[in-house]
Amino acid sequence: MTSRSAKKAFYGRFRLFCLATAFCLILVVPALNKYLHFSFIQGWFQSLSIGHLWFVSPLEGIESILTSKTIYAPLLVGMLGPVLLALLLGRVFCSWICPISFLSELLDRFIRLVTRKRFRKQASPLPRKLIWFALLGEVIITLIIGAPIFVFLSPPGLVGREIMMATLFHTLAIEGIIVVIVLLLHMASRRLFCRYLCPLGALLGILGIKRRLIITKDPEKCVECSLCKKACPLGLDPATGETTSAYCWNCGECIDICKTRALTFRW
Amino acid sequence: MLRMKLKKLKPALTSRKDPREENGSTRRDLVKFLVAGAGWAAVACRSHPALSAGTASPVKTNILRPPGAVPEEIFPAKCIRCGRCVEVCPYESIVPTDIRDTIYAGTPLIDVTKIPCYLCMKCVEVCPTGTLSRISQQETRMGLAVIDKHACVTWNQELALCRTCYNVCPFKEKAIKLDQLRPVVIDKFCTGCGLCTHGCPITQKSGKKAINIEPIYSFKPVKW
Repeated sequence: MTSRSAKKAFYGRFRLFCLATAFCLILVVPALNKYLHFSFIQGWFQSLSIGHLWFVSPLEGIESILTSKTIYAPLLVGMLGPVLLALLLGRVFCSWICPISFLSELLDRFIRLVTRKRFRKQASPLPRKLIWFALLGEVIITLIIGAPIFVFLSPPGLVGREIMMATLFHTLAIEGIIVVIVLLLHMASRRLFCRYLCPLGALLGILGIKRRLIITKDPEKCVECSLCKKACPLGLDPATGETTSAYCWNCGECIDICKTRALTFRW
Repeated sequence: MLRMKLKKLKPALTSRKDPREENGSTRRDLVKFLVAGAGWAAVACRSHPALSAGTASPVKTNILRPPGAVPEEIFPAKCIRCGRCVEVCPYESIVPTDIRDTIYAGTPLIDVTKIPCYLCMKCVEVCPTGTLSRISQQETRMGLAVIDKHACVTWNQELALCRTCYNVCPFKEKAIKLDQLRPVVIDKFCTGCGLCTHGCPITQKSGKKAINIEPIYSFKPVKW
């Protein structure tokens, strides 16, 4: 590795740092709550509170409103932050914060270390549009059953819950197997769950259709080496402008890999 | 002759449909399948007794919701299972359920025979969805303490001087009074915190105590 390439992996490292920080937060907070009764920071990514600043995951909040058919003002206020984040920056929760993303990223690095291959094969066995139907199906099922299902089956939420269960009660919930399944799917095909099945990702994607932060290509600098396509965790092709679509989650992997610096974040 | 037939068959066997068309149909089928499956599952769960037992609320005698909880009818709908009430509880009274309680998975419960609620009212402050509404200690109605007069020593025996429930009650002389040295619950003031159940020295064969909390308020119908 030359110093140039090290400098160029800026977003990759910064992102891993963000993911690790977010993961450490949900790892440490239950222990702080249990042993020190420090309840200033609380919860995980279903609902997080820092003092009196509350965040609620938009999909969980919407499910709660839809199924209970009541509106609770603090819930709406809690959803405001994540919704604004998604409106301005797109699906950045998925790529920069989500604990599943962190675990997948670690797995990726491990696989790269073992196989000694720079890129994993980009298999896209399913149509990309499936993710919208995952959201739709999830909402319909929720409304039919009359109970929100993503709230107790969401993989990022389950990571938080399992950590809490382990810290507070020294046990694990059975449904944590879903996290293992999602990671196994990731082993089989890169980010299979995030790409095609995550309803929360779909919702954030929809919110971020008109986002301000997009990755744009300078066609003069692009040499069409298609490295960016190989690097994209979602199997998008930044060279054809797919990074401006709702599917892109602004992780910056393509910017890091681009040798001619044709790709940049644009506000 | 046979060879000719095979030749004719070959393109039919090897030809593939347009992949886009294939994808379109599978996707539609998938959505149809999901919707139909969910519909049937919901109908089955509501109608079939064996399955509806699985979707029954985990709330029962001595197993209660935290203070300020909305009725069970909308509790699983409103709660987002963020676990903040579980995390904030300093006594670890609140324990989340798991997937064995089907749609109630991840919802908070208090087993008062293990650890009762000490009414610190921290959980109602942190609930982001209003599932636990912000109420005071006195307004809390997690259930109602009911004395089993066949099991309670002061009621079924002569001259037994147990008054543990009276002593531990946080609303002594209001929620539990002594009537000729026998405890009596006043339903107007009982919060259902379970301190009496936890303190009761009598444990029956069924696991119940001589004073139990019945979650009668959890099964109130919801007014829309």
